[in-house]
Amino acid sequence: MKRRNLLKNTFLWLLGASLSWPLFAFVQKKRFRPPKERRISRQLKPGQFVVEPEFVLFETQNGPVAISRTCTHLGCKINYLEDKKIFLCPCHQSRFTQQGRYISGPAKKDLGTYKVSTMENDQGFIVYLPA
Amino acid sequence: MRRITYGQIALACLLLSMATGFVVGYQYEIAAPFISTTAIEATLPFGWFWRSLHFWTSQGFVIMLCLHCFDTWDQVNYIETGNRLKIHWTMISITIPIGILALFSGYVLRFDGTGQAAGAIAEHLLLDVPLIGNGLDKLFMAIGSEGLNRLYVVHILAGVVCWILGTWYHTKTVRITFAAFCLTTVFFLIFCMFTRAPIDLPLNHLHLIHGPWFFLGIQELLRNFNPLVAGIIFPAIPIVTVAALPWLKQKECGYLILLLWTFAYAGVTLVGILRAG
Repeated sequence: MKRRNLLKNTFLWLLGASLSWPLFAFVQKKRFRPPKERRISRQLKPGQFVVEPEFVLFETQNGPVAISRTCTHLGCKINYLEDKKIFLCPCHQSRFTQQGRYISGPAKKDLGTYKVSTMENDQGFIVYLPA
Repeated sequence: MRRITYGQIALACLLLSMATGFVVGYQYEIAAPFISTTAIEATLPFGWFWRSLHFWTSQGFVIMLCLHCFDTWDQVNYIETGNRLKIHWTMISITIPIGILALFSGYVLRFDGTGQAAGAIAEHLLLDVPLIGNGLDKLFMAIGSEGLNRLYVVHILAGVVCWILGTWYHTKTVRITFAAFCLTTVFFLIFCMFTRAPIDLPLNHLHLIHGPWFFLGIQELLRNFNPLVAGIIFPAIPIVTVAALPWLKQKECGYLILLLWTFAYAGVTLVGILRAG
């Protein structure tokens, strides 16, 4: 290799290497986002539920429970089948109980839950979603 | 008149796909992907036509690229001396996964039932890659934390990279003929007048979502195998094999791996197609 080519290639590699760290740092950084609150302005009796994009909110004898709709296998959005009282993942058919407990399929883990609080005067619920 | 090759049709499809992608992009809204896609499809004048052209020419590009690869892979036998042509072959073989990435990200960007599921699965698969999974996710997906922003960038970038690799790098001397471009354009113009691009309406697939056609086999494998094996290692086998072909002493081994993989993938894809909800 000629000296000129060697110098040219070394310069290009050094230039690429020196830019890779700022690029990596810029892309890797997760911007701050505040946690999300989902307000459900509806009263529910025990046994009733509300389906939201991120969760299904059930009113139970022990208070409200928000079960995540994200499948623990590969993150697909699972559906609640009211007639069978189970959650079913449409991607790979993992099944979960109404309480989010794993029944069958490739997921193997229970569904997550979100913190729920009741609005003042029982006007509805606030579900706290992570950022 | 020069023979029209799969490679020329692939390039024509890519150019049409990129041009129509820019048209569709004028009305596509990253903050409301599904709503804006539905609006393009249903309410905007000729929106269905531009979307259909973008969708079908993109499909055409990947299909023609694969056919071009099959059509020309015997040329690897003539690469015997020197590393320049071997490196060229390996570099150009990267076009296939990048083309599939561009196509796949297009499915996710419309963010209907199929798109959302495909995006979630792809992101989880990337995160399953040991050591570099998190970095790959941040580079290519990050749908969970960043929405579709990064995937939109990757979608455009993948198209541009395919164009650069397929033209400036690969076909310095073999340019697309006027006839190939015109025939491809006319075919897709007529085809797209009568064929809409698919879109899933919410709750259409309560029990079963079928992924994109090229993803059905992986979807089927993911039911039964570890995500890293089914979603990363298995799909990487043909890509690595094609890229490594010129470097192999026993090329027959490479051909055998590709043949077996193709049959195996066709088999599981068929199972996926036949699976009822």
